[in-house]
Amino acid sequence: MGKGSTNRARFYPMGGLLLLLILFLINVSLGSIAIPLEEIVSGLTGGGISKRSWEIILFDYRIPKALTAILAGVALSLSGLQMQTFFRNPLAGPYVLGISSGAGLGVALLLLGGSAFGWNLGGGGFIGVWGTVLAASTGAILVLVLMSITAWRVKDSMTLLIIGLMFGSATGAIISVLSYFGGAEELKLFTVWSMGSLGGVSQAQLGVFLITCLLGIVPVLIFVKSFNAMLLGERYAESMGVNLYQLRWAMILSTGILAGSATAFCGPIAFIGIAVPHLARMMFQTGDHRVLFPASALIGASFLLLCDSISQLPGTAETLPINAITSLFGAPLVIWLILKRNFSRDF
Amino acid sequence: MEKDTPILEGKNVAVGYHKGKDIHWVARDLSFCVRPGQLTCLLGPNGVGKSTLIKAIMGQKLPTSGTILFQGKPLQQLGAKEMARKVSVVLTDRISPGNLNVRQLVELGRGPFTNWLGSLSEEDEKVIDQAIASTNIGYLIDKNVAELSDGQLQKVMIARALAQDGELMILDEPTAHLDLINRMEIMQLLRDIAHSRHKAMLVVTHDLDIAVETADVFWLMPCGGPLVSGTPEDIILSGHINQLLPQGKFYFNPSTGKIASISPQDEFLIDGPEKVVQWLKLALRKRGIKPDGNIRLTAMDDPIRFLLEREDHTVQVSTVEEVLKELGDG
Repeated sequence: MGKGSTNRARFYPMGGLLLLLILFLINVSLGSIAIPLEEIVSGLTGGGISKRSWEIILFDYRIPKALTAILAGVALSLSGLQMQTFFRNPLAGPYVLGISSGAGLGVALLLLGGSAFGWNLGGGGFIGVWGTVLAASTGAILVLVLMSITAWRVKDSMTLLIIGLMFGSATGAIISVLSYFGGAEELKLFTVWSMGSLGGVSQAQLGVFLITCLLGIVPVLIFVKSFNAMLLGERYAESMGVNLYQLRWAMILSTGILAGSATAFCGPIAFIGIAVPHLARMMFQTGDHRVLFPASALIGASFLLLCDSISQLPGTAETLPINAITSLFGAPLVIWLILKRNFSRDF
Repeated sequence: MEKDTPILEGKNVAVGYHKGKDIHWVARDLSFCVRPGQLTCLLGPNGVGKSTLIKAIMGQKLPTSGTILFQGKPLQQLGAKEMARKVSVVLTDRISPGNLNVRQLVELGRGPFTNWLGSLSEEDEKVIDQAIASTNIGYLIDKNVAELSDGQLQKVMIARALAQDGELMILDEPTAHLDLINRMEIMQLLRDIAHSRHKAMLVVTHDLDIAVETADVFWLMPCGGPLVSGTPEDIILSGHINQLLPQGKFYFNPSTGKIASISPQDEFLIDGPEKVVQWLKLALRKRGIKPDGNIRLTAMDDPIRFLLEREDHTVQVSTVEEVLKELGDG
């Protein structure tokens, strides 16, 4: 490996962490009520804050939201990277292949199905949180299993994307039917959820989110070497001793849990999963997953923090839906990636 | 002697697939043997089951009957991990290895030997350096794989397989998509590696010309028939090589080592130096000019001249084109 890449390998993680910290500080200092930066730093380092209201805003609202952004950014980016490598498709991602829709269907069944099937598991509470996560992850995993079966039959990457879109439409249709029969209260709950928000996660929920993220990362750690072998395709990977069956299930479980829980807590967030792995490949100039996984996690967290900061509309009390901001940045980025001449070769 | 111990042995192997309760045979009566230090070329028409046989040898597909022994042990008894340490492959699959450089790609070959994180030991580094040196790709190591030409990429893939350091290397059409020089170079390289590194090398190829030049052993897989193996020269001299060609349509000419559209008996008898004669014969073959009892053709070198002797008169010309004109063509 050249000297340049060694320097890059040393400098970039430090720079990335620093960037993440700065973005975190910016993120928590933004909002309808201005809190001076010194007070925030003092509060974060244990020095205390002069106003009680600032303390509540900071610790009960802004910091959980910023941490949610970090976790969701990590979760979605890691899902995207795994899917891109496993399906060997540069355009794969939890949103594009309908995984988020699957998670959405799970949540819809839980929230809206209440009136149709007569259960009441939605809302807050411990069971409610885990229920939402479980429903979303199950939905995501189901779509992933279907996609894997499809990918096994069709080798063409464009066909796979179209089928992903079809899955998305089909789940969307089921959600519409559920909405039609859903009660007004649940419908409102679901609609708010589906617009996507990082702000709705309480401290207790944040703990659950952290646990699911760690759970989802375990398979990534175990199979990092196999993902590198998958760069050469399934048959080469097999010839190098990779157990495709295990890897497929690891990818499905990890992606399902990560994308599922991110969707459960924040609603569907577009383009993070597809765009961030490409940013990581470009910035770190490597295809090695031992670098790409941490790099994607770092960039994903930073990217979502940045998008959230922008959605605060600095200087006003308004907040835009996070999904709108990520799409606004993500969509042109993906188009640019496609237009780049050697997109498919770079992947 | 170690050289005589086969790495791989197939006994009456049949390959195929199950369709419901029926077994659909792809190829049967395949007995073979791969030895270290030899370049073995597997030749056969498309669709005869070469790929299926290769899959069976790689342990990815069970033979429908017969046994394949790897170093005397039935292949099924070897686990995927163990297989990966013994057999490495170069496939026809197109790869899109996002942003890997050449060295990183070769390093992937060490996968079966490293820990879960894939950290390379000093020993691993040594094997990688050796693989890079053996394939002469030292000047490429920092290049992105996407920037390589087809020929360079093929060498890098061979280096990766070599880094995997198994006793057996299987290459599926490694010279497809390559130009003539690269095809020759790759096959020579494989032969050199087989000899110098004492590897058993099994190459599936359609390049008969180059295979004749480089292979130590031929395996012929004709449609329907059993697998024929032997030294290429013997297979040519015995005429077995014609089993590869559709009967009555193409013939292997043992004198030129080339495939021709007519059998050697149907060719003009031309006297003269071989160098000139074979090209004149080619020109006549291509235009379908059949031997004519009334004409005797003689070729001469330095300067090149051709003599056409008919009963009544003799003509001397200096180009092939003029010969064709004299014989009433062109």
